[in-house]
Amino acid sequence: MSDFFLLISLPYVAMFSLITVTIYRFKSKKFSLSSLSSQFLEKDKLFWGSVPWHMGIGIIFLGHVVAFTMPKLLQALVSKTNILYILEGIGLIAAMFALGGLVVLFLRRLRNARIQAVTSNMDLIILSLLTLQILLGILVATLYRWGAAWAPSTVTPYLWSILSFRPDVSYVASMPLIIKAHIVIAWVIILFMPFSRLIHIFALPLEYITRLPQIVVWNSRRLKEEVIIAQLEAQSRRHFLKSAFGITTGLILLSIGIADKVIPFFRGPSLSAKEKEEMLKNKLEKMKATIKQKELENERLVNEYIYIADLKDLKTDEGLYFTDYSMKPALAFKDERGLPLLYSAKCTHLGCTVTNKVKNGKLLCPCHISHFDVKTGDVLDGPAPKALPTVKFILMDQSQQIVINPDKSKLNEYKVYIIKEGNT
Amino acid sequence: MKMLNTLSGFIKERFPLENMNMKSMLMKKVVPVHKLSWAYYLGGLTLLFFIIQVLTGLFLLFYYQPTVNEAYDSVKFITEKVPGGAVIRNMHTWSSSAMILCAIIHFLTTFAMKAFEKPREITWWSGVVLIFITFTFGFSGYLLPWHQLSVNATKVGLQFIGAVGQYLPGVLSELPNKLIEIIQGGPSIGQETLSRFFAIHIVILPLAILAILGVHLLSVQLHGMSKGVSRNVEKTEPFFPNFLIKDFSLWAIVFLILFILSITIPFESFFPYPLTEPYNPLGSTPDGIKPEWYFFFLYYPMELLPFWVIIVAMGVLVVGLFLVPRIFQGTKRKTLRFLSWLAFAYFVIMTVFGEAIFEMIKGVK
Ligand code: FES
Repeated sequence: MSDFFLLISLPYVAMFSLITVTIYRFKSKKFSLSSLSSQFLEKDKLFWGSVPWHMGIGIIFLGHVVAFTMPKLLQALVSKTNILYILEGIGLIAAMFALGGLVVLFLRRLRNARIQAVTSNMDLIILSLLTLQILLGILVATLYRWGAAWAPSTVTPYLWSILSFRPDVSYVASMPLIIKAHIVIAWVIILFMPFSRLIHIFALPLEYITRLPQIVVWNSRRLKEEVIIAQLEAQSRRHFLKSAFGITTGLILLSIGIADKVIPFFRGPSLSAKEKEEMLKNKLEKMKATIKQKELENERLVNEYIYIADLKDLKTDEGLYFTDYSMKPALAFKDERGLPLLYSAKCTHLGCTVTNKVKNGKLLCPCHISHFDVKTGDVLDGPAPKALPTVKFILMDQSQQIVINPDKSKLNEYKVYIIKEGNT
Repeated sequence: MKMLNTLSGFIKERFPLENMNMKSMLMKKVVPVHKLSWAYYLGGLTLLFFIIQVLTGLFLLFYYQPTVNEAYDSVKFITEKVPGGAVIRNMHTWSSSAMILCAIIHFLTTFAMKAFEKPREITWWSGVVLIFITFTFGFSGYLLPWHQLSVNATKVGLQFIGAVGQYLPGVLSELPNKLIEIIQGGPSIGQETLSRFFAIHIVILPLAILAILGVHLLSVQLHGMSKGVSRNVEKTEPFFPNFLIKDFSLWAIVFLILFILSITIPFESFFPYPLTEPYNPLGSTPDGIKPEWYFFFLYYPMELLPFWVIIVAMGVLVVGLFLVPRIFQGTKRKTLRFLSWLAFAYFVIMTVFGEAIFEMIKGVK
């Protein structure tokens, strides 16, 4: 269950937040999208923090991207052990760089009062998460060696299963805790990313594409006016292009998504022989049950009386379910004298079926809690308006003769039959 | 003759022919902008969910088999074997609940905004019928998976009709039971019931809803959005394209949410497993049978109050709903808003705490 939540629900929530909040922030421009550089506040530490961090994390990130997008290639590469060693070595060094840089940046934020003024709680959270994530990454790389070799066949398919909306945790479900933690924290970081200054990752390229054209303005009134008009036109054109682009991409994505679900749906499943066999078996069993049911119905139409059970098999504390003449459930007990006791099991309130277990001499209807006396069928409490009706029966002895006066000593030999309404 | 004239006059006023053209119904229509404007999106949202229901329902039809033998297994087959089947089924269930919720809120807000005022009576009446149909959709669809919960809850639901019998005199007292048998197609729930509910759910109700929806939408477009608030609204926005774009954007977002929800959370995860076992005609009814959440507001009072109170209340409610444009003709919007809040609070309390209240009063568990 927690797997389900952390490895399936969380990713979707995270991606949803990433997309919507990022778009919202771009649109509203309420926040600046830069990393709110505090360069002017303290330069030296920034250099010793920022550069190693960005270099290190860049390499690490690239490694992960390759593993996710080109797993086959990576696997082919690392099948040569020396390449594997080199890659893992580079990764580890880069991780150390990133970690070192991050620690410097972190300390800077914590120690310098002026920088603290521009630091939000979210920044601290995201910094801690990043630090933790890198630590976990290093742990994974050292404790469970050669991730470059095993990740492409485990974590990559998991990630793709999420991205293609066919979530499947089985690839990673049995992994060690540390690796799972590394995955989960990755999702948490994505979740928080749009709320923090990490969003600056997206800032640069997009701004560049959609910013206004820069037009050099001469010192002439007419030209200035023309420029303004040109800018306005350009703005509205861009506006139109942007929304048209957005809508088309949206529609394309939507139709791809729908087609992706719908076409296989219509094509139907391709079942293995075993699955087919199982289904067929199940179906046959059901059919047998139906045949039995129909036979019961038929029996009730033609027979004057129907066999229910041997008297010796009935119990006082647990009823035997059977079907009465109107095809409704009924219950058979034995009373203290050893004679049968048959009730309709259809609750007189709203028709639920009462339980067959006797508790303190009572039968329960679970629907609205009515209790019936097992000796008489009377209502003891609850909303049921009437007693459970008894079902008429006869006893037959071994020679198929109807027993009028049951012989106490021969009770064990008798069989119980129910009889059609109107017969006595 | 005079009556006929008044009738035709009435209809002419509600369906002005001169306005039945694209221009006045689409281009010239404006939507008032004020604090309650969000309520104008609810009807459209209900429509979206209805469309989703139709489409996913059609998909499900490809594999569903409406027989006592196969129904359960075919549903299981859809969810477990057919690619994408789980998503489509979850969507159908999630969106059914969402549709009913939206319809209820839409109903309450239109009441609060006095959107039933002349000349919008027909919109209101058709709306009331639509909401009844929607509930019937829910009730009939619930039986189709044929598991313990669905069959037993349907059984109990139908028996409520039978309970009316105790208040009828003489021969008539058997009538409700006869009615149940007609609905069930036999003395107990079985194949006949399933076939009937299936036909009702997938053919009869959709046809009915389409016809009435047509009237509903036509009159909405004819008369435009009702003003909704008592003071004068100066600000409006054009229906086409401004409002429509917003409406569709909302649809897109809601669809996305529904889609993600259907992928990640199966609706049935809210029921304990034994309730979703295949239905067993012999054997005791399992514990915890209750209808879908949207019937709680009816169900728990039925359990707690004497039955005749319910019958009277229901009768008054149904008749009252149709007479709303009459009864509340002169009522201030403030009062209507208050009434709506009251009804909403009742609905929420019964839905969320109904079970707790029931158990408290009955003293079980
Ligand atoms: S159906 Fe048995 S108590 Fe209501």
